[in-house]
Amino acid sequence: MQPATQAWWLAAGRLLGTVLIGSGVGWLVGRPWEGLACALTLHLAWVLVNLFRLEWWLRHRNFADPPDVGGVWGEIIAQVVRLHRRKRFHKQRFVQLMRQLQRSTAALPDGVVILNAQREIVWFNRMAARLLNLRRTGDLGMRIENLLREPEFVRYLAGSDYSMPVVIRPMNGEDVYLSLQVVPYGDGQLLLLVSDVSRQMRLEAVRRDFVANASHELRSPLTVISGYLETLGGDPALEPDLKAPLAEMRRQAARMTSIIRDLIELSRLEETNETVVGEPLDIAALTSLLRKDVLARTVHPRDVRVRIDSTARLVGSESEITSAFSNLVDNAAKYTGAEGSLEMRWWVDDEGGHFAVSDTGIGIPPEHLPRLTERFYRVDPGRSRATGGSGLGLAIVKHVLQRHGGTLEVVSRLGEGSTFTCHFPPARILSSTRAISVATA
Amino acid sequence: METADLSHHISRRFNEDLERVRSKVLGMGGFVEQQLQKAITALVEGDSTLGESVALDDHQVNNMEVAIDEDCSKILATRAPAASDLRVIVAIIKTITDLERIGDEGEKIGYIASRLATMERPADKYREIKHLGRVVSEMVHDALDAFARMDVESALRVARQDRLVDEEYEAIQRQSITFMMEDPRTIRRALDVMWVVRALERIGDHAKNISEYVIYMVHGKDIRHTSLDDVERELRGGAVTPAEPPPTSA
Repeated sequence: MQPATQAWWLAAGRLLGTVLIGSGVGWLVGRPWEGLACALTLHLAWVLVNLFRLEWWLRHRNFADPPDVGGVWGEIIAQVVRLHRRKRFHKQRFVQLMRQLQRSTAALPDGVVILNAQREIVWFNRMAARLLNLRRTGDLGMRIENLLREPEFVRYLAGSDYSMPVVIRPMNGEDVYLSLQVVPYGDGQLLLLVSDVSRQMRLEAVRRDFVANASHELRSPLTVISGYLETLGGDPALEPDLKAPLAEMRRQAARMTSIIRDLIELSRLEETNETVVGEPLDIAALTSLLRKDVLARTVHPRDVRVRIDSTARLVGSESEITSAFSNLVDNAAKYTGAEGSLEMRWWVDDEGGHFAVSDTGIGIPPEHLPRLTERFYRVDPGRSRATGGSGLGLAIVKHVLQRHGGTLEVVSRLGEGSTFTCHFPPARILSSTRAISVATA
Repeated sequence: METADLSHHISRRFNEDLERVRSKVLGMGGFVEQQLQKAITALVEGDSTLGESVALDDHQVNNMEVAIDEDCSKILATRAPAASDLRVIVAIIKTITDLERIGDEGEKIGYIASRLATMERPADKYREIKHLGRVVSEMVHDALDAFARMDVESALRVARQDRLVDEEYEAIQRQSITFMMEDPRTIRRALDVMWVVRALERIGDHAKNISEYVIYMVHGKDIRHTSLDDVERELRGGAVTPAEPPPTSA
């Protein structure tokens, strides 16, 4: 039998005993009812005393020992003690966990700010306070954009695309760059991650400047060399066995010139990361020019088609778009050969405008596709050097598209050909119908 | 002492409206801060495109001012705010005027920067301007922070810094005069530099104004044309005596 059940039986027995003894004694003196009443009153008083002791202990349980009573009362007290102990244990564990959590977030090298759905600051760690100049007291409950007023961040926060971090240069700092990333979670709450990227930005700037300066410095000596090679090549008194090496030198000099030209263009594109506005461009005219360029090559695909499915115009920088498209078409022509075909296509749908260049060339193995737009990345080093590319064409395409809010998609099958598609957002498309309605309005 | 407590409103909508306008003001402030920073960078680094872009973007500041002004009128007309709320609206209307002027001065600096970029740069590479520019940018930043936090202490600090800007202004002026006397060929450039320094000094004054509105907004005390020591004494429990206006707040 369980002790609790036992205690209950005992209590019941005790009550029965009290009743029996009370009424027995009463019967002996000839007043059984009074005897019973007396016994019950005593029993009730005993219960009351125990209740009082229980209640008193519950009130002072933090410093008083539990009363030493047996029976049912003892069982109840034991239960309470057990509950109490368990609660205290959980509480301690939570407090410890919280403390650990706080200590670890405080030690984070990055700043963390928790924002509620109203963009008000709920909590932030020490690093966030240091990086964003937040105050421990008083700044809780403030709207984050009231304190972090940089227009780029305000725009980023107001938008809904938090996939990429935004880099800002705080107004109060020296030469500090902060990368801010918003991570939505829970019920409209936001986690704001802040990290100091000044070092990376400075390294990046040094690298950019170096490439730009080096290319500019290399250009002038190369011009001189090319000039002399030109003159030498046209010299009739040139010894015949020098002719072939000289021709090769001229070819390589031309290649170097094109690499440097592309490098300069790339660093110019990189210098300003801002999106370009530009003007409406006529894609049909542009592609027909590109087609002529292809046909002017000594070896060109037999079949060069142009398909213009839309008269809508693309809003962008003419020089940049021309450079990007001609890079794609050049590539296609280079890797296709005389027997293949090449197609340029421009169409517009709900997702925006698309310009695709398809060829029936050698194709690209799938493992190379992700790295294709890296600088100087070669699928087949031997072959591409022979064709004289700079290795920067697709990097330029990628940058131009980025500046126009677009993306590059590459689909390719080895031996069957490739399709490079530029996707432009709808905001970049000026449909002819809209243009007409504007004109008549 | 009564504080502008924005969180105890019967009407939650009103509260939200007020908060939204305040955020808009601070957003405008953020844009103006950036314009100022860009203008100074353009000048110090001789970047004519950046200077031009600052001058071109100033119209956005004007648009923001008009929009916020309209919001304030709407709140005044529909909510008829009283006491501290009214002070907030009044302070906002005044603040955006000063912010717009800071934007104008920034535009001026950007324009001059793009012109100076084509000229020969002095040996010190506009170090003084860079320094003054940093002090002034910080003042604008701190004034807006004080506005956001309703922080009277910081506001007072900003107001005090204006004196430093005035001293710096005098120093650069003297230096420019020496340069002009030494080599008359630099006069044209020195005159342009003086325009920039003058604009920066004006921006300092506007930042000071904004911090004064913060004090007005929180305490309901108009401290314009009052010496700062008196203001401080008053805020700690004394009497304000109108004093000579500081010589620079024209």
